Amino acid sequence: MAAMTTSGGQMREVSPRRGGYAPLRSYAAIGDGRSVALVAEDGRIDWLSWPDLDSPAVFGAVLDAEAGGRCLVAPTVPFRVARRYLPETNVLETTFVTETGSVRLLDAMTLAGQSLGPSRELQRRVEGLTGRVPMAWAVRPRFGFAQKPTRFGWRMGTPVATAGSDALAVRVFDAGAAQVCEDQICGSFASAPGSSAVIALSAAHQEPLVFPSRAELSARFAETTASWRSWIDTRAYAGSFRPAVIRSALALKLLIFAPSGAVAAAATTSLPEQIGGERNWDYRFCWVRDASFTMAALLRLGCAAEAQAYFWWLVQATQLTHPRLQPLYRLDGGAHARERSLPVSGYLGSRPVRVGNAAAGQLQLDTYGELLATAWLYAEAGGRVDRDIGHRLGEIADLVCRTWRRPDAGIWEVRSAPAHFTQSKMMCWVALDRADRMAVRGLIPAGHRARWAEQAAACRDFIETCCYSSARGSYTRTAGEQELDASVLLGLLAGYGDPRGLRWRSSVDVIRQGLGHGPYLYRYTGEDGLSGHEGAFLSCSFWLAEALARTGRRGEATELMEQLVALANDVGLYAEEVDPASGAFLGNLPQGLSHLALISAATAITEQVSS
Amino acid sequence: MSVWQALAGGFVGTAALTTLLRAATEFHLTRMDLPFLLGTALTADRTRAKALGYAAHFVLGLVFAVIYYALFTALGRHDWWIWSIFGAGHGIFSGTVLINVLLPAVHPRMGTTLSDSTSVALLEPPGFLARNYGAQTATFGLIAHVLYGTVIALFL
Repeated sequence: MAAMTTSGGQMREVSPRRGGYAPLRSYAAIGDGRSVALVAEDGRIDWLSWPDLDSPAVFGAVLDAEAGGRCLVAPTVPFRVARRYLPETNVLETTFVTETGSVRLLDAMTLAGQSLGPSRELQRRVEGLTGRVPMAWAVRPRFGFAQKPTRFGWRMGTPVATAGSDALAVRVFDAGAAQVCEDQICGSFASAPGSSAVIALSAAHQEPLVFPSRAELSARFAETTASWRSWIDTRAYAGSFRPAVIRSALALKLLIFAPSGAVAAAATTSLPEQIGGERNWDYRFCWVRDASFTMAALLRLGCAAEAQAYFWWLVQATQLTHPRLQPLYRLDGGAHARERSLPVSGYLGSRPVRVGNAAAGQLQLDTYGELLATAWLYAEAGGRVDRDIGHRLGEIADLVCRTWRRPDAGIWEVRSAPAHFTQSKMMCWVALDRADRMAVRGLIPAGHRARWAEQAAACRDFIETCCYSSARGSYTRTAGEQELDASVLLGLLAGYGDPRGLRWRSSVDVIRQGLGHGPYLYRYTGEDGLSGHEGAFLSCSFWLAEALARTGRRGEATELMEQLVALANDVGLYAEEVDPASGAFLGNLPQGLSHLALISAATAITEQVSS
Repeated sequence: MSVWQALAGGFVGTAALTTLLRAATEFHLTRMDLPFLLGTALTADRTRAKALGYAAHFVLGLVFAVIYYALFTALGRHDWWIWSIFGAGHGIFSGTVLINVLLPAVHPRMGTTLSDSTSVALLEPPGFLARNYGAQTATFGLIAHVLYGTVIALFL
């Protein structure tokens, strides 16, 4: 069949699965502000944790193709696909074209409507376009990462699957008769022009199931589409990278956990940074290191309500460990993130598959700078920093004075010995600088300003003396060493030093040369306490683009940005990393930091052009 | 034994309960802040919320004291340990139903398990036994309510 273009984008062959695993690049994300599902281009949902983003997966085939759960809707004959999100929504459209006809599949996790609906709902709607297409669907839930036994049965003619206090009903309309086979609920039908079939998954957790009617499902689907468009209508960015920024905003909105306002780093756990390797982490937590990027992005996009909710969440969550900060907190605000391994095979054999994250117990000094920079951004935008919070921020600045000289695990959470990471020191300086600025504004107590200034100066002296290599012409990864680290660019972006000064201009060039591979950038050189190697880190490339813009090279920045925007998958999403050799996605997805860095770089370039 | 004694006991009991929970917060054992939770139902201004919340909390403390008094009258006994057990029951009811289910349902700024992308929650929900606010919250909440019940019994 000749290549063709549809309203759904470029028609192409489906990327083949390897050992049952789809390429990570082939996944699109849908969600409702509580959880996220990953939909492969062959119509299979291989990831969904219910009821919440950090709950155990009910569809976990992306981590175990054999035992993990999944949900398939696809033609039973060979097909080609084109995909897109419906404009300005998180509703996914997949168009299947076969020899006998074409259909489109619309996938969405629906948002609350006017009628009584399930607490969680995923709708898959099949609309016949041309000809006749034989279709099959199969829902194979495996609760609790496939560790809980799943039971199948019927309730009032509706097939259900249950495990403990979790239940899932499959409502089917014009999609053939549902059958309960040994380990799944399935059916088949044929589409015709104008036909419309619905397969709706209605979930319940510690409550009775709700069985919506077809009319209710249709109404809720329409309301969901309208709701996403309504949200996007109020977003502010109007620069030259608007499509990528808007898609990133929608991806970010999927990662905002609506019940608390926290922002998850990614929607998944243990998608590998190296195929077959051990670099597999649970990212379904909120990292303080992303805080200022998150706040800046929300404010730049005009998401004032989300920015306020995020700041409130951040202030509340960090209270339990105050004045010490953990690198990460649970989405519900809890401080415990005990790490353990699951007995599943892992994506293409990448083990261990971890839930929880031991990085919660690490010392990461950069987090203090992130929190104070976030508070400063919030206050600058008119947010209220009350006396209690101001007092606490002052205590955190005091803590930084006492601790900035200590070695830490750094922003990358290395599992090797603690070291004096340059980026950590830079963010300590940022912490003291922002504390001083807020004290000047009367937002936090000013009694310790002299001490903060003294320690900030000492910190700066340390950085300029020990963390800059004249031999390499760059800030280095750690004090006294020659290794490079892209994270030092964050110091530039956070306002450490003069961005147009010689040291920063030189560092940007050296880092690009030393860690770059085309448009890609590796995170660092040197030891990290783990075996194997990893791909290029996408957010680092966006940081480089922003650093180029801030050092006055907006032409290079724009050129790099255009290359990076083209690296997204077919629906505009980014994972954490990319294999520079093949372009394959690596790591968890969709990755909040990648999209945040894109928004930040795009707005910085736009601002530079404007100025 | 009079309703005034019960109200006095309720006032002192609420003060004791609040002080204990506040101390637990200062020692980073919990993030539970009942006045803040109650006050933010009335205003998004954090400072004003705390002031209003303390007032609302003491009013609720007095209301519960009257309920205790009614139960006491019906039961006809005032052994302190019985009221300690009542306090424990009150604490368990609070942790499992009052602030876990009812408060998020009526609080205009608190997220619930049903919150989705159409809404923006300013306050995280407490969760079962308020464990979202720290693993020790349930323990200190229970102790505080036992103390509350015991104090009222001592006044009656």
